[in-house]
Amino acid sequence: MNPRAGERGPREAILERLAAAARPTTLPPPRIWPQAFADLATRFEQALTAAKGEVRRVADLAGAWETVDGILDEVGAKAVVANSEPPIAGMDLPARWPERRCHIAGACGGDLRAACAAADVGLSGAAAALAETGTIVVASGPTRSRLVTLLPPVHVALVPLSGLTADLFTWTAARNASLTADAAMPANVVLVSGPSKSADIEFTLTLGVHGPGRLIAILYDAD
Amino acid sequence: MTATLPQFRRRASVAIADERLQQALDRGTGNFRRARDVAFAELPDADGLRDHFKAIRTATLADLGTYLQRWEANASAAGTRVHWARDGAEACAAVVEIAARRGATSAVKGKSMATEEIELNQALEAAGVTATETDLGDWLVQMAGETPSHIIAPAIHKTREQAAELIGRLAGRVMPEDDIPALTAAARELLRQRFLDAGIGITGGNLMVAETGSLVLVTNEGNGRMATSVPPVHVAVIGIEKVAPDWDAAAVWLSLLARSASGQPLSVYTSIVTGPRLPDDADGPEEVHVILLDNGRSNLLGGEYEEALQCIRCGACLNACPVYGEAGGHAYDSPYCGPIGAVVTPLLFGLERYEALPQASSLCGACREICPVRIDLPRMLVALRRDQEERAITPWHLRWLEGLAARILASPRRLRLATGLLRWLQRPLRGRRGLRLPGVLNPAGDRALPALAPRSFRQMWAAGELEEAGS
Repeated sequence: MNPRAGERGPREAILERLAAAARPTTLPPPRIWPQAFADLATRFEQALTAAKGEVRRVADLAGAWETVDGILDEVGAKAVVANSEPPIAGMDLPARWPERRCHIAGACGGDLRAACAAADVGLSGAAAALAETGTIVVASGPTRSRLVTLLPPVHVALVPLSGLTADLFTWTAARNASLTADAAMPANVVLVSGPSKSADIEFTLTLGVHGPGRLIAILYDAD
Repeated sequence: MTATLPQFRRRASVAIADERLQQALDRGTGNFRRARDVAFAELPDADGLRDHFKAIRTATLADLGTYLQRWEANASAAGTRVHWARDGAEACAAVVEIAARRGATSAVKGKSMATEEIELNQALEAAGVTATETDLGDWLVQMAGETPSHIIAPAIHKTREQAAELIGRLAGRVMPEDDIPALTAAARELLRQRFLDAGIGITGGNLMVAETGSLVLVTNEGNGRMATSVPPVHVAVIGIEKVAPDWDAAAVWLSLLARSASGQPLSVYTSIVTGPRLPDDADGPEEVHVILLDNGRSNLLGGEYEEALQCIRCGACLNACPVYGEAGGHAYDSPYCGPIGAVVTPLLFGLERYEALPQASSLCGACREICPVRIDLPRMLVALRRDQEERAITPWHLRWLEGLAARILASPRRLRLATGLLRWLQRPLRGRRGLRLPGVLNPAGDRALPALAPRSFRQMWAAGELEEAGS
């Protein structure tokens, strides 16, 4: 697409037109809409439940793992894929579930994509969670696979209470504050606000179109 | 694609006569509207948020070139390859070139208006690349050989029986008509394989964020997330107007988009793409390309139609519009239908080709009321009608009638004479429910005009037959 020397390419032509129409302007100062939620965890649970997601609240990380065990039994999971991120990285999954096939992104060799496509459950942490909208934030990285949270029919996310923030505005404000000059965005960040859904056939709501049909957030207290 | 007055009337008449379509439109637009109202009522200061967003969009468009270049610099630094396209042909050529270089013969597509606009599927087909739509509604419409008829509910015009037939044909088995979850499960299975096999994933984009060079994409089904994560190459086509300066602005944008579209506080998946996979990432596309599409948009900057570029394609104005609610999306014969389509379609693709669209409105203002960016669509519809008049696109007999009406309405004496004449002329047409107009004056054949009263208000007033209000 790069124009040859001396030839005016589409980029230059478009930018020239934009420059001709430009006028002095100032953006309005940023505004935050303060949403006062008495309890972030309660709001998160209400919002995600309203969006057909599921929330399990437990006291601590040990309780969270017991809840994961229960979900895998309930689903009858033969194959599990997981991101090797906190708090999952500290757990020896093959030892915990010897009867299930486990593939851990960033820790196992082999075909991650095929493992995700064949898995019954994908297990991840969360970079953050938004209370207002019942949203969990998943980000890509060396031990964070995009497909672990996307291809299996069930996505289970371990969300520490400390990861909760009020809403989109407080999340972006926190992101802005934590940014240093060389801290780049992860290549892929997804705000997940429920199970995959569609109402494209006669406005009838159905779950699990392309992404997981079940999203289960396990809220635990990390302290 | 065109929409002349006779074409629009004919298509609208067909839609109005189709009882199932009318039910689907009533139900669909009604559901969206109610959900939208509930979602806005929950916001602490929805009107303030809309005003703030309007100010952001206005300021961004006033200096669009600067923000686009800032986005380009940050996106390029993250490894995104940025392409610029003056028109649809250049944009299609860029996608075809990428597919050819990668040797891709199959593409999966996430929901996208921009690729409908440039007719990318046809260009890919011609280059030997099979493109599969993966939004459930778009996929049904593609299999039926049709075009979408609503911005966010593309298959609003299709019934469950039709969906079962289309999916069954591809699955090679009879699908149950009354089991929509089973239809969805079959679609998941069929499309999942397409995703895994595809050489290239193609999407649109809801917005770009200049501050980080990110592309943001929202979907509910996950087709956008799949198309940006599964294939080895991701290509996005996005209009140049859809840029937010920073994440503060993007947060405002996102908090209004889904609420306006479907009443959800956020769509299920908001994907933020900032370059291809990093060298040690677990997975993700090796290449990310973004094609910045002008296609007539820059013509609108700095003029009276610039405001149309503030649109974020939420579809709320379709759900509010009484004309869309009866005529349906296909009457417009454009990827952009409804009130926003009636404005941008003639502006981007030619007023001559789409002469009916500025007329396809009662100017009631419902679209302006519901718009999250408070775009004054009625103002622009009137301006387009003026352009039609000035450029003599309006048929001569309508221009003659409009000129006559203007002269009559400008003088009380002429108005009195004209109404007297009409009162005498209407006699043979009077029916029980009003006037039944003949032939060309009643193109849909189903209209009754109220008859003129035997005596005018002025006559009654002058004769002292009216009591003053309140007495």
